[in-house]
Amino acid sequence: MTNDSPTVLCADPDDASRAATVDSLASAGLAVREAASVSDLESTLDDGVDCVVTAFEFGDGDGFDAVDAVRAANPDCVCVLFTDREPSDLPRGAPEQVVEYVPKPADGSRDRLASVVATAAAETRHAAYPLPDGEAERLAAVRQYDVASLSAAETFDRLTALIASHFDIDVAFVGLVDEHEERFIACEGANWRTLAREDSICTHTILTDELVVVEDVREDPRFAAVDALDELDIRSYAGARVTDDAGNALGAVCCTDGEPRRYSRAELDDLRRFADEVEEQLRLRRQLAGAP
Amino acid sequence: MAARRDARYAFDGLPLGPVDPGTSVIVTGPVLDGARELGLRLLRCDVGDCGVVIITTDSGAATTMEDFERYGGTFDRDRVGVVDCAQDGREPAADCVSAVGTPADLTGIGIEYSGHYERLYAAGYERVRTGILTATPLLVYSEDVRPVYRFLNTVTGRIDTAGGVGVCVVDPKAHDEQVVESLVQCFDGRVHVRSGDEGLELRVDGLPDQPTDWTAVDPSA
Repeated sequence: MTNDSPTVLCADPDDASRAATVDSLASAGLAVREAASVSDLESTLDDGVDCVVTAFEFGDGDGFDAVDAVRAANPDCVCVLFTDREPSDLPRGAPEQVVEYVPKPADGSRDRLASVVATAAAETRHAAYPLPDGEAERLAAVRQYDVASLSAAETFDRLTALIASHFDIDVAFVGLVDEHEERFIACEGANWRTLAREDSICTHTILTDELVVVEDVREDPRFAAVDALDELDIRSYAGARVTDDAGNALGAVCCTDGEPRRYSRAELDDLRRFADEVEEQLRLRRQLAGAP
Repeated sequence: MAARRDARYAFDGLPLGPVDPGTSVIVTGPVLDGARELGLRLLRCDVGDCGVVIITTDSGAATTMEDFERYGGTFDRDRVGVVDCAQDGREPAADCVSAVGTPADLTGIGIEYSGHYERLYAAGYERVRTGILTATPLLVYSEDVRPVYRFLNTVTGRIDTAGGVGVCVVDPKAHDEQVVESLVQCFDGRVHVRSGDEGLELRVDGLPDQPTDWTAVDPSA
């Protein structure tokens, strides 16, 4: 969450019902946007929305279509189904449509909804990946590293070229893991810019101070079903976490290849040294830029 | 006697200290040799204002409730909810049990879970213990582990924001070690369970004021 006041999008085709929900959420201190249809919701969504409260029936789809639209635009967004239909009366969605559910009371009260949404929007994420401890502090730390302003891009370009050559691999990169995606700040051997966190192996690398090696992506149950890795021709991976002085995980220095690959102990030691170099460069350049 | 909503959750009869409201733990160990038993014992609550929601994936609701009572729980239909994803043909006919056809239907499980949570809350039970018994079928039935992460983050998020307490049981030997380690990340702490020479033993990672060395569990408590 980047704003003090979480932003909630309320989607409901019934004008009176939507207005009542918006009033209740706004009274709970939330910034509220509105949508009257699934297509409205699609055009109103962006990654500034922390939570979507959706009715179940729309003229142009149902609540699960709304959830699909949310996941496509903002995969980690909290989704709350607010409907007078009983859980057993709802059609079943696909596994990726996991949502919160709050029943709409017969008396029209929104108090319970507002309470659930206010805390969920501020404190939780429906992320399809494990989150590190201290994620809020970690994200605040990552935001301190604007690589362009640190004039570090050329240095990291040279480093990734050296890494790719040293390991004889297809791609070497330095990635920073933001709130919703990994941002590649240097990438030798490919033209990658970003990758959703739920698709990125570095999402797991930042969880541990040990190096992460995936010798064959197709044989690892965490990643075998991730189509994006196949599309990027990532069949093997080795990554070392990069942290700041306080221990916050900023991202990772990584090797990927289109073929299954093993890494020797000596190679992993070298990868750790490259990651240490990236950490040092980031630290020194922040100091040069006058950061505390 | 009613407990304050912000009071810590205690685990009577177990060698564990109390935990803060909002805490979720993963219990890892052999399911049939201690982990499932410990998971059910963690859900026991003797104070009258505490509700329980159990997502049962590897045994039917009737079997799970019998086990819950065997380990000291009380199957009070007014303050218990069960999401049964493993119907075994002997489900108790009760409003407090809802069926989901398969452990693969994470969306259905999540909605039924929230529905039970809301029913208990509306009935005045603001302190709710949640059990997932066990996570293994969720992983086995899901072709992709990412929806399971989302499901667990959603459930633990609800527990966190509602001030409940959560317990999820998994047998680490049934899964790739890296998958188990990544699941652990979705929880505040980990309770390891094993069957030792003297009976059931546990130790805890990630939570303050808990036993970090193997500690015997009194079977009669």
